[in-house]
Amino acid sequence: MERAKISAYQLLVLIFLFEIGTAILVPLAIEAKQDAWLAVLIGLVGGCCLFWIYHSLYSYYPDIPLTEYMQRILGSVLGKVLAFFYVLYFMYITARVLRDFGEMLIIAFYPETPLFAMNVLMVLVVVYTIRKGIEVIARTGELLFIIMMLIGISTIVLIIISGIIETSNLEPLLEKGLKPVIKTVFTQTLFFPFGEVIVFAMILPYLNQASKAMKAGLLGLGLSGLVIALIMAMNISVLGVNLISRSHFPFLSTIQTIEFAGFLQRLDIIFMLSTVIAGFFKISLYFYASLIGTANLFNIKNSAQLAYPLGLILLILSITIASNFSEHVYEGLQIVPLYVHLPFQVIIPGLLLIIAFFKNRKEQRKRNS
Amino acid sequence: MSRKSISLYLIIASISFLSGCWSQKELNELAIISATSIDKNEEGQYVKTIQLINPSNVAGGLQGGGGGQSPAVTVYSVTGDSVLEAHFNASSKISRKLYHAHANLIVFSEEVAQEDGIEDVLDAFERDPEIRPTARVVIAHNTKAGDLLKSLTAVDKIPAEKVNGTLEFTEQYRGTNLEVTLQDVIKTLTSEGKEPVISGFSIKGDIEQGKKMDNILKSEQDTTLETDGLAIFKEGKLIDWYQEDMAKGVIWILDKIKQTDVELDRDGKKNAIVYNVIRQKTEVSADTKHDMPTITINVRAEGDIREVRTSINLKDPKVILELEKELEEKIKKLLEDTVMRTQQNKTDIFGFGEEVHRSNPEKWKKLKSDWNDNYFSNLNVEVKVEAFVRRSGLRTNSYFSEMKDK
Repeated sequence: MERAKISAYQLLVLIFLFEIGTAILVPLAIEAKQDAWLAVLIGLVGGCCLFWIYHSLYSYYPDIPLTEYMQRILGSVLGKVLAFFYVLYFMYITARVLRDFGEMLIIAFYPETPLFAMNVLMVLVVVYTIRKGIEVIARTGELLFIIMMLIGISTIVLIIISGIIETSNLEPLLEKGLKPVIKTVFTQTLFFPFGEVIVFAMILPYLNQASKAMKAGLLGLGLSGLVIALIMAMNISVLGVNLISRSHFPFLSTIQTIEFAGFLQRLDIIFMLSTVIAGFFKISLYFYASLIGTANLFNIKNSAQLAYPLGLILLILSITIASNFSEHVYEGLQIVPLYVHLPFQVIIPGLLLIIAFFKNRKEQRKRNS
Repeated sequence: MSRKSISLYLIIASISFLSGCWSQKELNELAIISATSIDKNEEGQYVKTIQLINPSNVAGGLQGGGGGQSPAVTVYSVTGDSVLEAHFNASSKISRKLYHAHANLIVFSEEVAQEDGIEDVLDAFERDPEIRPTARVVIAHNTKAGDLLKSLTAVDKIPAEKVNGTLEFTEQYRGTNLEVTLQDVIKTLTSEGKEPVISGFSIKGDIEQGKKMDNILKSEQDTTLETDGLAIFKEGKLIDWYQEDMAKGVIWILDKIKQTDVELDRDGKKNAIVYNVIRQKTEVSADTKHDMPTITINVRAEGDIREVRTSINLKDPKVILELEKELEEKIKKLLEDTVMRTQQNKTDIFGFGEEVHRSNPEKWKKLKSDWNDNYFSNLNVEVKVEAFVRRSGLRTNSYFSEMKDK
């Protein structure tokens, strides 16, 4: 672990940017049809519960990251094996997000550019930032958070004043009851994007005031959840469910629909800016988690040394995980949530918390007696 | 790796990537498209017509010379078995890369819309990231779609601009046409319980004459482009054209009327009083309690009396109330006629089905499979109109009253 500290506000900002990440760009929770925004909000509640688990673990071991305290909880051998799997998990998801990012730019803006060129550029920036450490990422976050907010608010204002919102598209509410909504929550929104906050189990030890972790975390999650739900509701009311379920990037189509005063149109650049900013943070934070996980597991003192080799692996992985975009999306929506996210985000941390709870109680009793 | 070698590596990497965009094209390598159209020829191939802007001839004015000598647009027609093939075949005729991002108009021919259905050609347009989802769509009425793009126009030098501008203003001031975007068309096509309507455009005059520069050198053009009716679709196929009042009725029920005029007869004189609707709100609601849903159309219109050709006492509030009643009847009849004709056409262009869906999803499930042909055409539609006369321009009574008193 590097010696660095981030403030509670910086944590909030990082969680916000991280969660917003790819979630505002894809047709999130569209299986719930016009109630997608509701599925996002319920997913947010679940995400807060998950954050409580990660936070409780953090309060038992406030100075070490996830991959290290699982070795204390489960013993050296089992803990190390599991920690290795976590590193793989973080790497894989980093590669997935990087792929998402590259594909997005190619489909929407650079149809003739190879994926490799897109990803190389992003990896170079990410590796450079990671070498500078978490403090730099956090400070970049503070700056870009304001820019994202400005972009977001101006987009919402533009969409409202150009009069393209048809709230009737959001009706009928709960057409087929709560069941499809709940199903979407447990197959998608709980894990992506909210469960992904597990990355912060690796970053929480850098917080300078442990007491504020819960508050900052929940605020960051809550804010991002509200923004994602708002954007989904806006997409649905502008485009309608049919169009969203047929598009890769509904938010792009929403922005393209803006026509105001005859000259404010084709504002695709808004989408591009938010893609690049949010994508950058998601990739950086995931990558950072896999980096310190690796350093920790193999006892490497200077984790920055790992940035280049891991970056290379990340680059190759991002291009080889799927041979086409459909495969990539299918895996992302059908396979990853249940078979990858569910165990790594919910089951294992839950078990860890239970074991840690009993272990700590035993130790406390020993101390008391 | 030392710090130096890393920075060297970064610099080299940047040189290869930052020097420019991957597939950069300079402005003089681009052919900027202002409008495209799709026709079908006898062999069943698609004919794509592309209207390209000649930048130097648009500028005119200050640069002097340039403008006026040759047309502001150049038109090419290409054929292909698919829309995209036609697009690529264009490269054998055009020396520059076709650039779609400024194309704001897509024209489909009546033939394609009637025979194959419009859904056959839309996908290529929706999928392309370069084409705007907000491009306006029109149907060429009584003419080939390609010919519509070939005619030169005055005032607006680029014909596509002229078409879009005309659409915008008829929608705003007359309410007989509608600006429909590519995205709107696809949205209504895929929506359950709503069918598309698209504005029509036609050429008045000789087509060949319209292609010549002579056409725009005259004070009155021989050949002009004009809005012409509203195309009514059923399941993607064009089935009817609505003109004038009928078209106005459709746009009224869709709540897209911004301003329009309503004429009243008085004292045996036809169209003696003209009422100008300044703002209106139309709401459609569905009552699904009974077996057969009932649709209610609520109209609330506000406006002024803007032309009087009879002696009527506009100072008397009672007369105004009387006028309002008459206006309500007139508007009601207009909307009822429109609904009746559309029910005979068996196509739900008003989105009544969507309304039923919203208010009672359970019931909609049973109705939707046979909505257009059975339920929609037998729907009980009730029209309720409230019309308000607010002002009467700068004058109270017309001079007709004085002349009569003399």
